[in-house]
Amino acid sequence: MLRFIARRILIAIPTIIIVSVLVFTLQQLLPGDPVLTMAGEERDPEVLAFLREKYRLNDPVPIQYFAWIGQVLQGNLGISLRTDIPVLTLILGKLPVTLELAIFAMIIALAIGIPTGIVSAVKKGTSVDYAANVVALSGLSIPNFWLGILLIMLVSVRWQLLPASGFVPPSEDLWLNIKTMIMPAFVLGTGLAASLMRHTRSAMLGVLRSDYIRTARAKGLISRVVIMKHALRNALIPIITLSTLLFGELLAGAVLTEQIFTIPGFGKLVVDAVFNRDYAVVQGVVLCTAVGFIIMNLLADILYVLVNPRLRHAQ
Amino acid sequence: MMNTSALPSMLDHTRRKSESDAAHPLLKVENLSVRFDGAPAGINVVDDVSFAVAKGRTLCIVGESGCGKSVTALALMGLLPTPPARIVGGRALFDGKDLLALPDRERADMRGNQTAMIFQEPMTSLNPVFTVGDQITEGILRHRKISKAAASERALEMLRRVRIPAPEKRMRAFPHELSGGMRQRVMIAMALANEPQLLIADEPTTALDVTIQAQIIALIHQLQKESGMAMILITHDLGVVAEVADEVVVMYAGRVVESGPVEDIFADPQHPYTIGLMGSVPSLGRRQGRLTTIPGTVPPAELMPRGCRFSPRCPFADQRCVSDPPPLIELSPGHRARCWYAPLELHREPIR
Repeated sequence: MLRFIARRILIAIPTIIIVSVLVFTLQQLLPGDPVLTMAGEERDPEVLAFLREKYRLNDPVPIQYFAWIGQVLQGNLGISLRTDIPVLTLILGKLPVTLELAIFAMIIALAIGIPTGIVSAVKKGTSVDYAANVVALSGLSIPNFWLGILLIMLVSVRWQLLPASGFVPPSEDLWLNIKTMIMPAFVLGTGLAASLMRHTRSAMLGVLRSDYIRTARAKGLISRVVIMKHALRNALIPIITLSTLLFGELLAGAVLTEQIFTIPGFGKLVVDAVFNRDYAVVQGVVLCTAVGFIIMNLLADILYVLVNPRLRHAQ
Repeated sequence: MMNTSALPSMLDHTRRKSESDAAHPLLKVENLSVRFDGAPAGINVVDDVSFAVAKGRTLCIVGESGCGKSVTALALMGLLPTPPARIVGGRALFDGKDLLALPDRERADMRGNQTAMIFQEPMTSLNPVFTVGDQITEGILRHRKISKAAASERALEMLRRVRIPAPEKRMRAFPHELSGGMRQRVMIAMALANEPQLLIADEPTTALDVTIQAQIIALIHQLQKESGMAMILITHDLGVVAEVADEVVVMYAGRVVESGPVEDIFADPQHPYTIGLMGSVPSLGRRQGRLTTIPGTVPPAELMPRGCRFSPRCPFADQRCVSDPPPLIELSPGHRARCWYAPLELHREPIR
């Protein structure tokens, strides 16, 4: 098992290197010149030349890359070209917000997706199944920004139940923090719930047809035990992997949802940085989310083996 | 008449015993009919099937794939996948209680308790994510009010009884760590853990290596002798039938075409299909030409003849066979055949 984990980590390293190269080179393709943005209206050639020298923008791209990655490896993601705040500080500031939103959204997604998936598999072909599928399909096809705006209009504007936007750190006011998080987490969660529901349903349908379910019933076990123990335990194996990957996506930040609810997470940070041609911040954020996603992938692989005895022993 | 001389020599059962026990059957199936949704009107996958099995006796159901053997067994266990399969008629009296009319909960209380079943596919019949020990223990705890430790002890004892080597170690093994034969032994241990009165074994050796098949059959046979339970063994291996059966039911396309004490079926088969089956068995004696095969295949449901379902393949069939379903005729005590021309030797000349 340990050898398997070590091997998976080793495989992840080249992936991270490739990601860092991609992040860096794609950045070069972005239109616009950061120096022009920084130099302001006058565009004094001397200032431009000084800034180019200061940020080593005259060096060849590979040299720039190695200079950057060398700093990254020492934990220095550079300094925001616009605000002069270290990128790492910016990222660490946004991380708790994004993490909180991701966790909330994931809880909502799991709480809705898995039970409805089970019910619709067990009641396959009945009106319950069709209803669940229609709802799931709507969940998949309704864009987050539209649902978000609709919720703000109804819940905040008309019924005045929850604040429309803004973010309050939990350290300041926990209850208000939760109230501001409910709607964006719901918007993100329902989209994921739909795909979780579809996957749970198909995994359960496959498992319920299997011979060992018939064996469980032949032992006289009641339906609830057959479904919730024998079937679900097997169906959850792919679902755990899927959930981990979905969580990785959530960590990358939800650009539109964060914009609508003005939540200061990764999504908002990266959008602002792109608009301001703040290369250092874009690079830092994209690198962090990519690494986060790779780590979640790694976790998904390890969990898949842990919950699956056939693989656990094969390693 | 046929190439069966090698088989009846193994039969050592007495007719008298079978008659006295048949009077008090443990399970009496009467006119069981099962239909699949979407099948043509009047075509049941199991049609009007009746048989009985007494305590300590073995009934073998024989027939080719798709003849309704397994569906019959699953219907008796209450394990039919509904939909598409539906029981549309009949009774199954177990100790006087109609299994088919029991509420779901009572049915589940009997499954794995008074009635148990082992299946054809040992490789896929055990849950891959639970240990062997847990899976046997679970069935014991379901039906007995004993402690977990006692149930576990009982499970271990069952593994010993089915002669699994190093049973303590196997208790903690996952199914994928065992061979097919070992898994089938686990299935047997699981089925017998609550000392059922009736065991249904649905082709328990078909998926196993030939060398293992005989061991498993011998094991089941011996455990049955020890416990005195009744057994329904579904098989298409006539060698196994000759070895363990007391009674035989031959099914073809969902109907019983012949039934009776094993010695009658082997010594004097009366239905052309049974005769054909016997001809398909290689004998140990001198080789006499090619093995007989039954020409053709079972017709699909929509082409099923109204009369005798075997008529399209039968060398003796005439117009009446195709249009009118033959009745089950009693030829000698307990020996019945569903053929207009039974007994054949009085009515028909073989067409060769």
